[in-house]
Amino acid sequence: MATPTASIPAIEFSGVTKVYQRGFAAPSVPALSGISFQVARGEVCAFLGPNGAGKTTSMSILMGFIYADQGQARVFGYAPGDVRAKGRIGFLPENFAFYKYLTAEKLLQFHLRLSGRQVTDPAALINELLIKVKLDGYVGLKIGKYSRGMVQRLGIAQALLGNPDLLVLDEPTSGLDPAGRKEVRDLILAMKAEGKTIFLSSHLLSEVEKICDRVIIIDRGNMVRAGGLQDMLAESNRVEIVVDQLPEAVEQALKEQGATIEREANRVRISVDVAQKRSVAEALWAGGSDVISLTPMKSSLEEMFLKLVGGAE
Amino acid sequence: MKIRTIALNTFGSFLRNKVILLFCSVFACIVLLTLTPLLAFKGMTTAANAQQMEGMVLNEIAAVMSMVSGFGSLLAAWAAADSVAGEMKSGTILAVMARPLRRWEFLAGKYLGVMMLMVVYVVVMFAVTMLLAWLGGQQFHNSLWTLLVYPMVRYAMWAAIAMFLVTLVHPVVAMGMVVILATLVLIFGSPWRHIPNWIRLPVHLILPLTNLVSEERFLSVTRASLKPFPWASHLTILAYGVDYALVWFLLAAYVFQRRGLTRD
Repeated sequence: MATPTASIPAIEFSGVTKVYQRGFAAPSVPALSGISFQVARGEVCAFLGPNGAGKTTSMSILMGFIYADQGQARVFGYAPGDVRAKGRIGFLPENFAFYKYLTAEKLLQFHLRLSGRQVTDPAALINELLIKVKLDGYVGLKIGKYSRGMVQRLGIAQALLGNPDLLVLDEPTSGLDPAGRKEVRDLILAMKAEGKTIFLSSHLLSEVEKICDRVIIIDRGNMVRAGGLQDMLAESNRVEIVVDQLPEAVEQALKEQGATIEREANRVRISVDVAQKRSVAEALWAGGSDVISLTPMKSSLEEMFLKLVGGAE
Repeated sequence: MKIRTIALNTFGSFLRNKVILLFCSVFACIVLLTLTPLLAFKGMTTAANAQQMEGMVLNEIAAVMSMVSGFGSLLAAWAAADSVAGEMKSGTILAVMARPLRRWEFLAGKYLGVMMLMVVYVVVMFAVTMLLAWLGGQQFHNSLWTLLVYPMVRYAMWAAIAMFLVTLVHPVVAMGMVVILATLVLIFGSPWRHIPNWIRLPVHLILPLTNLVSEERFLSVTRASLKPFPWASHLTILAYGVDYALVWFLLAAYVFQRRGLTRD
């Protein structure tokens, strides 16, 4: 088989369907219904959805752990589970499990041997990774004694071990405190700067908003939305008009039209429906206000997510 | 390289496994319990009853070694089932299988890890056999390799069967099926005349005829001798055992390739 070219996306799902059959008598449970999306190389893409939406099922198909009933998934142009694809992936499973009797160094040595990565000094690489995830001070400590956060950091270190082109992270900040979450965020941004592709699922939407280029939202196995994060957030139906001052009479009239008004020290912020922007701006000018700016309002990812999935989470 | 890495890790995990430690403790207790009457018999030996006492000592050794050898079959089956099921249950398999590792390589590594454990078991069993025989005043002089190779092949068969079963069903069910199989082997492997041939023959094709691959066929502990056996027969029987284990391992790899890898 020819080596896939650079134009091939890092991840490609085409009409992927998965139905779980729980025993002979129990009804089948559809987990994914014809999901299609692509993740380009070098992108940081968030895969979002409420619990039970099908995120982990999708990631399991992506990693070749389970098979799609219909449709096709591709990783760098290869079938999921193909060693050529897996050799380029760093994977952090949800609730990363480990061999409790090993130390972090031994576990990383084990995974390094399995990754097939050839390094001149494995101990130096492992030490560097442990420093990166702030676990270098626990030499000789069995992983069974680690806290949840430490285990998560170790999971991130093992995902980075093979110098992957694609990082697949299932809840990477799970179990981490705010400082730990920021470190992971910085780590992801550093990986992004190196040109790595990152595909992550998370429930911490504020974190996602800070690091992702694209967002894919699924709910109950169906694709709800996919697109650039900034484009999505900009899709609000309100605009904000900032003026230097606002006469009482105009304020009253605007409130009657449904505008929200926020007075600050030397300016007034007026939020109105996008359909009213022209008439409101004209009324403001006519009333003697000087318009400083008129900008489309952005909603937060959380607001958008809750709107799309019906506040399921 | 990757298979060896999995095998060494599996073997390492066995050395820390509580059930394995329990097995070893039972093994050690059996040996210690055996030593007590053995030494008592030895102490009671006089010129008048020497032959009778020696016979009792050797009979006891034969019974104990037969039991320890049978334990080994259960250990091999359990270790094989647990090595795969344990990874599935804990979820450690996800990070491992995310590596550029084929599923059959993972399974082969697990199988080799089990066989490494069984090598240790067989070597210890061999040493204990020699020790007990020496205490019984006997010495083996020839074909000692059969005491090492035959049990290994037999354990390889049980490990492969258990590995296949655990890719299909829960490990407890898999072990139950292994025990049923072992019982059937005892029944159909016995020279009972009343089992009609139309049942016995097809069953023989499926059952692991581990009684064939048993060192007890030519080991006569009571005479501390190993019956001479032609090399061709040795090779045929060992090839049967290895082939049987290989077939079940390949079936296990086939099923494992098709099943979903999720946290059980």
